[in-house]
Amino acid sequence: MGTTVALVRSGFSESEINRSVSNAWNLISFSPKRNQVESVVIKANLCYYWKSDTGYTTDPRIIAGIIDCVRERYGADTQIQVVEADASAMRTKYAFPMLGYENLAKQKKVKLFNLSNDFLKKESVLVNGHEFTFEVSQSLLDCDLFINVPKLKLMRATRITCALKNIFGCIASPNKFVYHSSLDRAIVGINKILHPDLTIVDGLVALGRFPVKLGLIMASIDPFSIDWIASQIMGYRPSKVGFLKVAIKEKLGNPKGITTCGEDLAPFRKKFPRESFLFQKWLWDVQFGLLKLYGKIVKDVIPPSLEGI
Amino acid sequence: MLNVGIIGLGRMGRLHMMNCSHVDDIKIIAAADASKKALNKAKKVGIRNLYSDYHDLLEHRRNLDAVIITLPNFMHFESIRLALESGLHVFTEKPLAITVDECRGIERLVQKSGRKLMIGHNFRFVDAIEKMKDATEKGHIGTIEVINIEEVINGPFSHPAVPVPVSDWWFDPKKSGGGALLDIGYHLIDLFRFFVGDSKILFSSLDYKFNLLVEDGAIVILGCSNSSAKGIINAGWWQKTVFPRFNFRLILHGNAGYISSDDLIPKNPYVHAAKEGTKNLFRRVVGRKIRPLSYTYFYESYYKELNHFFDCIKNDLNPEISANDGLKTVELIEEAYKASDKNSFK
Repeated sequence: MGTTVALVRSGFSESEINRSVSNAWNLISFSPKRNQVESVVIKANLCYYWKSDTGYTTDPRIIAGIIDCVRERYGADTQIQVVEADASAMRTKYAFPMLGYENLAKQKKVKLFNLSNDFLKKESVLVNGHEFTFEVSQSLLDCDLFINVPKLKLMRATRITCALKNIFGCIASPNKFVYHSSLDRAIVGINKILHPDLTIVDGLVALGRFPVKLGLIMASIDPFSIDWIASQIMGYRPSKVGFLKVAIKEKLGNPKGITTCGEDLAPFRKKFPRESFLFQKWLWDVQFGLLKLYGKIVKDVIPPSLEGI
Repeated sequence: MLNVGIIGLGRMGRLHMMNCSHVDDIKIIAAADASKKALNKAKKVGIRNLYSDYHDLLEHRRNLDAVIITLPNFMHFESIRLALESGLHVFTEKPLAITVDECRGIERLVQKSGRKLMIGHNFRFVDAIEKMKDATEKGHIGTIEVINIEEVINGPFSHPAVPVPVSDWWFDPKKSGGGALLDIGYHLIDLFRFFVGDSKILFSSLDYKFNLLVEDGAIVILGCSNSSAKGIINAGWWQKTVFPRFNFRLILHGNAGYISSDDLIPKNPYVHAAKEGTKNLFRRVVGRKIRPLSYTYFYESYYKELNHFFDCIKNDLNPEISANDGLKTVELIEEAYKASDKNSFK
């Protein structure tokens, strides 16, 4: 049997976002695997110090809506943690205050937690013949309900980034950049270890060629299905997205039988500013190839901010 | 031949290190940095005397004539003091130091030592700014009445090609001395002084959009002490901009006309890079000296300021930017912090 992805149009005020999150949750008739829900972990996407309206990070107002939904359904005493792990260039100790998460935590009385500082468990996984060993936070493995809250956006390395890629952000080691040479497989690898119960996508301001107010909230119990639909919204054939191809091979997801409910995806696809990565990559390679050649021949200085390209 | 040491091999230190290779009659013979990785990069370009502690570099200074200091803000005072007391000429990145008292101390030390000190106020060496200065001196726009200067960028949060975390000292007001006002506003305030002379703070408002202990934005209004000229400064760290785009502009409003840097800065950075790169290639082919970093437009100013500093040493001239310029700029910044309501860390 296939999975359902809910698409809900949202306004941009706090009350509208709250309502839309709740609608999305109800549309997929979500019920947790465990009978008793006492501890909830919400994984936001705080990849860098750029606020949610730049299209890079999860809007804290969506997290606030999710917190309200959790409390409404499982009781006001439910222990809720909003989590993120340090990344190559980002430290959660700064991202939390800078992106409005400290204010959210105070307002909603929830705990913010850096997954990189947790008790870590080493987990090995085989993907397409390649063995990965990841350190993952025990909190993610032990919680009663794990909610994944990615941002809808494009990324040069993987084309799209949404539900499965946000789980890649759970890897405890800050130096995730080391996986970028085999990113598609690494994304699938970590998703074979960590399985969120529910994914709610922040597509309020999405990032394509430029940020756009899309006003979309998506929900599903299956991150693969979310990415399959998200890819179509962002204008890419999902069967051409590298990590989705690997995910199918590894039986992490099945595109057959994925259905949507709520809004039609076509208007969102129309509004999303597509990016031609093939052209971008070509342009990027040509520019930096020429720069390197120029530096070599003319012996001119290349600014250190462009080092390592 | 002048022998030079570099203290601090972060992004700015490495840029100065590479620029030095294009300055005539100077040689970098020593470098210091706490990071082994940074020292390895220096080793690769042929610097032999490498130190993990800059005190050791200054202790073993035997053949050194000058040092370039690009340490975090809170280390400026001590490192400049030690270098001047060691009899070395000093080029330091801005700010001169993080308090007015420290700046005054450095000014006294420069006078006592008889050494040259120059601060990296590189904006004064940007082509467009030089042209604007020239035009105002020739009276082309009459008397300057208002100057708008703005720079809103990522500041320390710009994302490099290879991701590395922003250093902790930027977030700590005791170590950084301040946020966007001291980092970016410093240049803008210096430019106002560059065009109209001694100034005072008329208004200051700081922003804390990022909820940090240091401000991420500042709006400051300056007044000239000797004329009716006013300056409106808009400095910010809060905008995601990507290289080669650079959100900076300066508009001089005179009573006979105006000049905007937007009309002088190349509209298309790629076309400019191609044009200047080709010129440098031609210069290289015919055996002439290239114009380092001219293809980047703004980065060329870093080469030009360094070249000016070493010229001053070689010809016993006073650098265009003295310790007093650094002191006056930091004085204005301290005034702006005091004038602002949200001034919790000072």
